[in-house]
Amino acid sequence: MNILAIDSSAKAASAAIVCEKAVLAEFNLNVKLTHSQTLMPMCKQVLACAEFDWEDIDGIAVSKGPGSFTGLRIGVAAAKGIAFARSLPCVGVSTLRALAYNLLGFEGVACAVMDARRGQVYNGMFSLHGGNLTRLCSDRAISVAELKQELSPMKVPVFLVGDGADLCYHEMQDLSFVRQAPVHSVNARAASVGLAALPAFITGQTVSAKELMPTYLRLPQAERERLERQQQEHKDNA
Amino acid sequence: MLTFDSHSPEQTEEIAKEFAKKLLPGDVVAFTGGMGAGKTAFTRGLAEGLQVSGEVASPTFALVNEYPGRPGRPSLYHFDMYRITSSDDLYTTGFFDYLDEGGILAVEWSENIANDLPDNTITVDIAVTGENDRHITIKGGGRF
Repeated sequence: MNILAIDSSAKAASAAIVCEKAVLAEFNLNVKLTHSQTLMPMCKQVLACAEFDWEDIDGIAVSKGPGSFTGLRIGVAAAKGIAFARSLPCVGVSTLRALAYNLLGFEGVACAVMDARRGQVYNGMFSLHGGNLTRLCSDRAISVAELKQELSPMKVPVFLVGDGADLCYHEMQDLSFVRQAPVHSVNARAASVGLAALPAFITGQTVSAKELMPTYLRLPQAERERLERQQQEHKDNA
Repeated sequence: MLTFDSHSPEQTEEIAKEFAKKLLPGDVVAFTGGMGAGKTAFTRGLAEGLQVSGEVASPTFALVNEYPGRPGRPSLYHFDMYRITSSDDLYTTGFFDYLDEGGILAVEWSENIANDLPDNTITVDIAVTGENDRHITIKGGGRF
């Protein structure tokens, strides 16, 4: 089974072909170019360089969020377009879970963090043990200060991964067990998206192009604003 | 703080054109001041000063207009936040993605997104002091 995997959830863009046994091909770009102009040529090129035809691809995996609004829409739209044209099954993978896959084989906790601005990060926590990954909490938006508080009592190595890793590391330097992921593993990679999606393809837990959707995470202040608005509307209608 | 007095839209444009030379990639220019104060005229001046391509029009309908810069020079992104009333709305304009583009952002009705503006935002207040007279106050960005 060959899966074409794509990621454009943050500043880097990536396309890869993975199968059950290996990462067959992967392109990564981290040069601030517009995903809408690079992602499809990357998909085409990664297939061409690997001497694959579209017929050789059995499914499409994509980072579905959280992340950059523009980036997620480009990635998911690209996945939808390819999958619709070839009636391929799709799997949308949590961007944070895919980031944790960058650290597969490490021992400790993967703390996936994406910069959500104003001292907040999108975060998911995963235990890494014996080459496996276990989710420890749902994907969420959390302030860096709160995250630090949660991590403080931990006894195992915690690896920060994702484009919020620098930001968090800066605030957590006094926690000796918190480390940054290696520089080549800190950004989202399509190979990790593909590997994270493989079990779902194998067990048939896929969706159609039409059903594939991005998942945005609402920030705490947006949630607060929404509640305030609802209360105001309630008052206005009363 | 910089202050200017303008007596016509043309003069506002000229002030903005000169001011544009002081802008750096990544700067956010946030306007305050009501309807008809001359925010679009000011932005037209910015576009001239930055030598970006395209005719500046109000972004009220499109929410954001992009004016690409010359090779190696910053682009100008012109936002109108009049219809943006929440952080959710703002997220769906791609505003946060534009902040990382290394261009210059000009934001009309910035009052609506006050909480989401970066700390080093430059504010341009255009006060109507007469039929054609405007008092322009530029502050912030750590340099004005």
